[in-house]
Amino acid sequence: MKWKKNDIIQYMEAKDFIDSVLIPLVPFQVSDDNTLPSSTFQSEVIQILANEIEKELTGRVLLTPPLHYLKSTNKDTEVSRLNQWVQDVKQQPFEHVFFLTFDSGWKKVEKELDGTLLWLPGSKSGNLQSAEMRAVIKDQVDQLGELIRSYWV
Amino acid sequence: MSEKKQQVSRRQFLNYTLTGVGGFMAAGMLMPMVRMAVDPVLKESGHGGLTNVSLAVEDITTEPQRIDWKIDQVDGWYESEVSRSAWVFKDENDEIQAFSPICKHLGCVVSWEGNESYPNEFFCPCHNGRYYKSGENVPGTPPLAPLDVYEQEVRDGMLFLGDAVPREEA
Repeated sequence: MKWKKNDIIQYMEAKDFIDSVLIPLVPFQVSDDNTLPSSTFQSEVIQILANEIEKELTGRVLLTPPLHYLKSTNKDTEVSRLNQWVQDVKQQPFEHVFFLTFDSGWKKVEKELDGTLLWLPGSKSGNLQSAEMRAVIKDQVDQLGELIRSYWV
Repeated sequence: MSEKKQQVSRRQFLNYTLTGVGGFMAAGMLMPMVRMAVDPVLKESGHGGLTNVSLAVEDITTEPQRIDWKIDQVDGWYESEVSRSAWVFKDENDEIQAFSPICKHLGCVVSWEGNESYPNEFFCPCHNGRYYKSGENVPGTPPLAPLDVYEQEVRDGMLFLGDAVPREEA
């Protein structure tokens, strides 16, 4: 389910079946010219990944809007902000919360998160339209889907 | 009436009128012909049309295989490439079947023999929905309808697929 009215109406009718939330964590920082190309590229890729995972597992996963944060801020602040999101999400009957990110900064604070962190190393540049990139992304989606499914059993 | 004032003679007037009316009629007849000649340009792409999914008919086996292809789709806000998938195989009557992989329960993607416990069935990983090879839903599992079927056509040995259509009987 996506964060769209039609999907959410369907969600409200089938709350018991949709028990997982996927929150992409996307850094945002305009100030540094050096990181701009790579961070925007990674932001694009992570959203494609999230959308594709949602497509495969529509009936059980709600994809939320991504959590954006300044890359330079202290992760502790962001952890508490993220956990507030989770608290709110859990007001609904969700059992599994997954975070999807390329930012290794989250890996260090993983234990403080109220959910499962799916961190994966991502390439910093490339051509999203190329056949190779599509194949890589498709592969990653398959494996991430498998991982998410393993939490359901 | 003097000769000077009469700038348009009766003969000229009739000529002009006939040319005008004749030209109009000729245009009316030519328009459909021209339209037909440039038909592919006018045709709306994507919707309703069949797409070559790059699968030769001789490569289709009795074992369902997943194929992916892209179509151009235009809606109010976006013009985009949309990917579609299908499970394609030949059934026991040697007829090509192309099923939509979208589970009729809540829309996850089903896979052929996706669970070892249920061989020879389509399996939905989200809520253990199951379908027989015919696409019929297995009673007692979450889906309440059989998988959608793609409009299909074979041209020059290649498979063309259109839109997925729900089946009538449950």
